[in-house]
Amino acid sequence: MEEEREINGSEIFKEFKEYSVVEFFKKNRQMLGFAGKVRSLTTIVNEYTTNSLDACEEAGILPEVMVKIEELPDGHMKVTIQDNGPGIPPSHLGKAMGMMLAGTKFHRYMQQRGQQGIGGAGCTLFSQMTTGKSTKMRSGLGDGKVHECDMKIDVKSNQPVITNQMEFMGNFRGLRVESEFADVKYDKSEHGVYEYLKRTAMANPHAQITLMEPTGEKHVFQRASDKIPEKPAEIQPHPLGITTGDLVDIAHRTDSRKLSSFLVNTFSRMSSAKVEELAKLVPTVNFEKAPKDLKWPEAEAVVNAIKTLKWIAPPTDALRPIGSDQIEKALRNILAPEFVSVSNRKPKVFRGGVPFVVEAAIAYGGNSGRARNDEGRGGDIIRYANRVPLMFDAGGCAITEAVKNIDWKRYDIKDFESEPVTVFANFVSVHVPYTGTGKQAITNEEEIVEEIRYAIMEVARDMQVYLRGKIREMDKETKKKIIMRYVKELSMDLSDLAGESTPADIEKKLVNMIETKYEKIEGEAEEVEKVEEVKEGEENEKEE
Amino acid sequence: MKKKSEDVTPVLKKLEELGKDMVEDIGMGESPKFECLLRSRSNIVYDEDAGYIKLGDKREARTFLNVGQAKKFMQTVAVASKCKKFLKENSHTSIRGLFYQLKFTLGDNVDEELFSEQSESNPLVEDLEVALDVKREDLNLNTDRKGVVAGNLVLRDKFGGAVDEIDCSKQGRSGWMIPSDVDNGMEFVSVDAEYVLVVEKDALWQRLNEDKFWKKENCILISPKGQSSRGCRRLIRKLADRKLPVLCFTDCDAWGWYIYWTIKTGSMNLAYLGSDIATPEAKFIGVTMKDIIDYDFLGKLTIKTKDVDLKRAEEMLTYPWITAHKEWVEELKTVLATKKKIEQDALQGPRLSFVGEYVREKIENKKFLP
Repeated sequence: MEEEREINGSEIFKEFKEYSVVEFFKKNRQMLGFAGKVRSLTTIVNEYTTNSLDACEEAGILPEVMVKIEELPDGHMKVTIQDNGPGIPPSHLGKAMGMMLAGTKFHRYMQQRGQQGIGGAGCTLFSQMTTGKSTKMRSGLGDGKVHECDMKIDVKSNQPVITNQMEFMGNFRGLRVESEFADVKYDKSEHGVYEYLKRTAMANPHAQITLMEPTGEKHVFQRASDKIPEKPAEIQPHPLGITTGDLVDIAHRTDSRKLSSFLVNTFSRMSSAKVEELAKLVPTVNFEKAPKDLKWPEAEAVVNAIKTLKWIAPPTDALRPIGSDQIEKALRNILAPEFVSVSNRKPKVFRGGVPFVVEAAIAYGGNSGRARNDEGRGGDIIRYANRVPLMFDAGGCAITEAVKNIDWKRYDIKDFESEPVTVFANFVSVHVPYTGTGKQAITNEEEIVEEIRYAIMEVARDMQVYLRGKIREMDKETKKKIIMRYVKELSMDLSDLAGESTPADIEKKLVNMIETKYEKIEGEAEEVEKVEEVKEGEENEKEE
Repeated sequence: MKKKSEDVTPVLKKLEELGKDMVEDIGMGESPKFECLLRSRSNIVYDEDAGYIKLGDKREARTFLNVGQAKKFMQTVAVASKCKKFLKENSHTSIRGLFYQLKFTLGDNVDEELFSEQSESNPLVEDLEVALDVKREDLNLNTDRKGVVAGNLVLRDKFGGAVDEIDCSKQGRSGWMIPSDVDNGMEFVSVDAEYVLVVEKDALWQRLNEDKFWKKENCILISPKGQSSRGCRRLIRKLADRKLPVLCFTDCDAWGWYIYWTIKTGSMNLAYLGSDIATPEAKFIGVTMKDIIDYDFLGKLTIKTKDVDLKRAEEMLTYPWITAHKEWVEELKTVLATKKKIEQDALQGPRLSFVGEYVREKIENKKFLP
């Protein structure tokens, strides 16, 4: 609660009166994702990329995003991001990129990628704080005019300071941002930009993403689908998904004159009868007063009372999963695996009323899994909330917990850490229960962990069938080769053990037997293997 | 039991026969097979009449001409062949030593090791023990020594080319350390005692040894020092075969009682050794929860149980061979209800020599639990 309170808009604006934005930023740096050099850079790229993808989606454009990272001689890193989106009109550029917490997302309640609104302006500020430089913008609406300017933020008033403004003719459409940062680092670790973009591509098969690394190396994550995701629907928030911070925030923005009518108008499933019930539960709060006067403790009391009442579940049609064929396309495209399976599950509800859907997938072989230090590939877990890769805090996340709770041996994965497997899980909800304001992990609640676990087990079972079949369908030559590997050693040991015959004689007979009789025995063995498999399958079902 | 001590020929013969059968299969154009009793939990049964845990009748087989079993089959033969070599050379090693002897690359363009982890070779040793009906000690594979004995017991130990006579009444303060193998090259010269007293804790063993308890009471005093090793359990079994009553004395908690039950009925892990290491005729002296009634000072010397104690107690209440005795059900339920336990050491509360008095009194009044 406390952490969420800090990120809340109205609270933040209150703080602006006392501190400058810079002070606010410095104070809350960790919380905003700017902790650690590698993490800071990933956060920057995340902010820009999600903005681009969201903008393209809203405008119905197939996104092309280019990210370029360069190391400058003075140690600064230059980040350039360009998209083919709708662009931002010059009149709005300042608000979007030069004013903290003034985005278009902050006041709307829908399933979107970025939900905290610190976005591009936060990056502008971080650049300015660490290098003193302004951020270069180029925006084109596709109307033949291109607009360019340099942007800074006046840290006292939280107002954009725009310089070097100019407009010229051109066909450029989209947004290009060029910014310099110190105190950041590029590396190829699992928390770095490369991994972040790769994972973004895996959840957004309709996007084409290009990365230019500081080394000059270029990676293109090709578009795998021409289907633009449906726009998320804007819905009324459900009472059970609301936090005290949200309530205060929305109450202070509303046009309703009374708290009671504000509640009925704002929330889904909130009737005047329900408001009366609430009023009885919290007699200290005057439901006739103006919403603008709602104090924090009062809001907290209301939110707590809401939790004790029964509510009709919210509609699930606002959920926007990626879709199983889209995920499959993306995974095949990026990982070139031998095998992919994607789950297909119905929405579930957590905390008694918040709907969510889990999309799980598993990929085996090819480039699945993570590279281990010259030891082949090991199991990898890639986590998402509403398509946004969760790059940090893996340990405390419900998805990690679910994967850990699975007995992988049952799915013919002897050791998850040493097999080429990628487990993909996307948590879809209008209200994602993050563990903290960094928004990098989903809380470990039992009903959530269980649902994720079931989704992963569903696809793991498909993979098991594939792995079994793989052994069965090995061609005779391969089978023969495998057995042949052991003939020599066995012949020597057996001759020693029996104290009779010679290794050469035993070897000759075994080889003969494998060459001539193999097919017949193989047929028999196959029958046996099939029977075993059916039995185990039944057991698995029962245990679930 | 299967093999007579110091005579390795029968075991050698069994190994050779195993090999000969396989060679014969091959001669007849059939895939060589290896068969043994299944050691998994589903094949562990409690023999109510005999009073110990053993393996059921389910068998498993592996054959060389099956892609999924070929490697394991080859490995099994490699282990058997290596053990034969140890027996012939009359040299001993541990299962870890065995693993290192077998950890090599198959060679000839085969980039694969015969064994790459000890967890691969350990179960194959157990498979062999089961298939040949021998103990690993019979295959010259030793385990760590654990447990100590004192009393009027004389043994003859043929080892490393020498023959030594060991008098367990002349081992001073430290006693004689029980080896892993008490069968091969090891025999009783004389056993002059009335019963065997098994004491869980080394500290209490030292207490009774200093009091010369075994001399005064004419018993054989053993401490497994916690959970008993294979060698220790085997020694107790062999002494019981001499018609000596076996009495156990442990802490009053589920852990201590479990040590008693392992001596009595054997354990799941070693179910395949069955009657060789179980002593169903063993009886329990204490400490029991009921002792608090007879010795009221104990009431003040209880300590709090740990979670593991309670878990173990709950588990023990699911074993039919334990729940068959209502005295034990009561004891276990008392622990679960009071969440208290009593250590053997608490008997030293009134005076150090009270430990001996307690044991004596229990034996005189035959106050045992089954």
